[in-house]
Amino acid sequence: MSENFEPNIVAFLCNWCSYAGADLAGTARISYPPNVKVIRVMCSGRMNPSFVINALQQGADGVLISGCHPGECHYMEGNYIARRRFTLIKKLMEYIGIEPERFRVSWVSASEGEKFKNVIAEVTEDIRKIGQMKQLKREV
Amino acid sequence: MRNIQKIIKDGARKAVARDDVKYVLGWTPGYGFRVSPFFARTAEDTERLIFSPLCANNLTIYLTLQEKLPLPKAAALDKRKIALFVKGCDSRAVIQLIAERGISRDELVILGVPCGGVIDISKLEAKFPQAIKVEAVEEGEKLSLKVDGKSQEIPKEDILLKKCSLCEYPNPLIYDVLLGEEKQKKTKDYQGISTFEEKSPNEKWTYWGDKFARCIRCYACRNICPLCYCDSCILDKLSPQWIRRSVNLSENTVFQLLRTFHLTGRCIGCGECERACPMGIPVGELNRKLEKDVRELFAYEPGIDIEEKSLLSQFKPEDSEDFIL
Repeated sequence: MSENFEPNIVAFLCNWCSYAGADLAGTARISYPPNVKVIRVMCSGRMNPSFVINALQQGADGVLISGCHPGECHYMEGNYIARRRFTLIKKLMEYIGIEPERFRVSWVSASEGEKFKNVIAEVTEDIRKIGQMKQLKREV
Repeated sequence: MRNIQKIIKDGARKAVARDDVKYVLGWTPGYGFRVSPFFARTAEDTERLIFSPLCANNLTIYLTLQEKLPLPKAAALDKRKIALFVKGCDSRAVIQLIAERGISRDELVILGVPCGGVIDISKLEAKFPQAIKVEAVEEGEKLSLKVDGKSQEIPKEDILLKKCSLCEYPNPLIYDVLLGEEKQKKTKDYQGISTFEEKSPNEKWTYWGDKFARCIRCYACRNICPLCYCDSCILDKLSPQWIRRSVNLSENTVFQLLRTFHLTGRCIGCGECERACPMGIPVGELNRKLEKDVRELFAYEPGIDIEEKSLLSQFKPEDSEDFIL
């Protein structure tokens, strides 16, 4: 991989916890890698695996989904239900040869600005190591 | 032991004679080694039904494919039941359909036939390329074949479909009438899948990329799947269009990923997708992979109980989350 490869990461953040957590990181002036493009969803339970796969097709090198900690979901159990889905789609993607680092999930609450920064830094670093997304990228 | 063919025909005749039965869905010999699905509406029709190790078709698909045309004025809806033959794996598809409210139990008369495994006809066609008229009878571990008048015996192990050599449910799990004798269960293992999981992403992609590149997007795997019966399928939708129609590696891969994912915790492993694939892509392997994970992680198995809730609409607080940051 070329030296100056900058990963392109799409982060789907839940409106109630992780988006607020990212906001907190901003207001607290914590700096984190600028590689991440944030998309706000109302709940991590809103995430359809098609969103993840579509992002990877359209040029994302990695996808991060972040939601409330289990038990703290604004909609009571959205993230519990989502968790099963994420586990399985991750297993499936790994099985066909997509690196496990491409698809990450984290729980970040509204008060965890510092954790948000750490998550983004870790995800970016991991993807920088494995390089560009080849498998699913559209040829166009 | 009474002849299985006679038992099948008797069972079908009794079912079709019932006032509340529309037709009996069964198998009839087709060209060469092929067996076609058959709708028997009269007692004479039932004479054409057979059951042999060549009957690989899962007839459950015809339950959701029924055309529901608008009725002419003053005509009453035909509310009679459908009788169908099910093997062990087919019966799980029926259970899953009932559990998902895809069809109601009252609409069915289920004729169960224990099955000792069905044959991969591509292997037979390779051995006898010119076969036209074929009779196949199961005799214990052997298959006695009559190909265009000549008799032959072949050990069944060599020509069974892969899913059948590991079949856990040879006997139907749901039925109104059981025709024939119960068969011995085999134990399922996921050996091949666990070994493949150990490989590096690069090796895995070399294997699957090559397979997916062959896909011509005929959607045979979706069309034959007894559990792919949504009225509006993600593959047909244009807005939003999650999967483009162009045939290339990226779209083919996404198609297979989503097709498999839509069957998570629903696929009952009848292997029809694999059998229907004209390009020989082992699509069933992806389904088996998820079946294995669902079993190991959530101790869940679809198509066993008609009262079961679907896997992805329930959760346990202690579900594994070791990959989550």
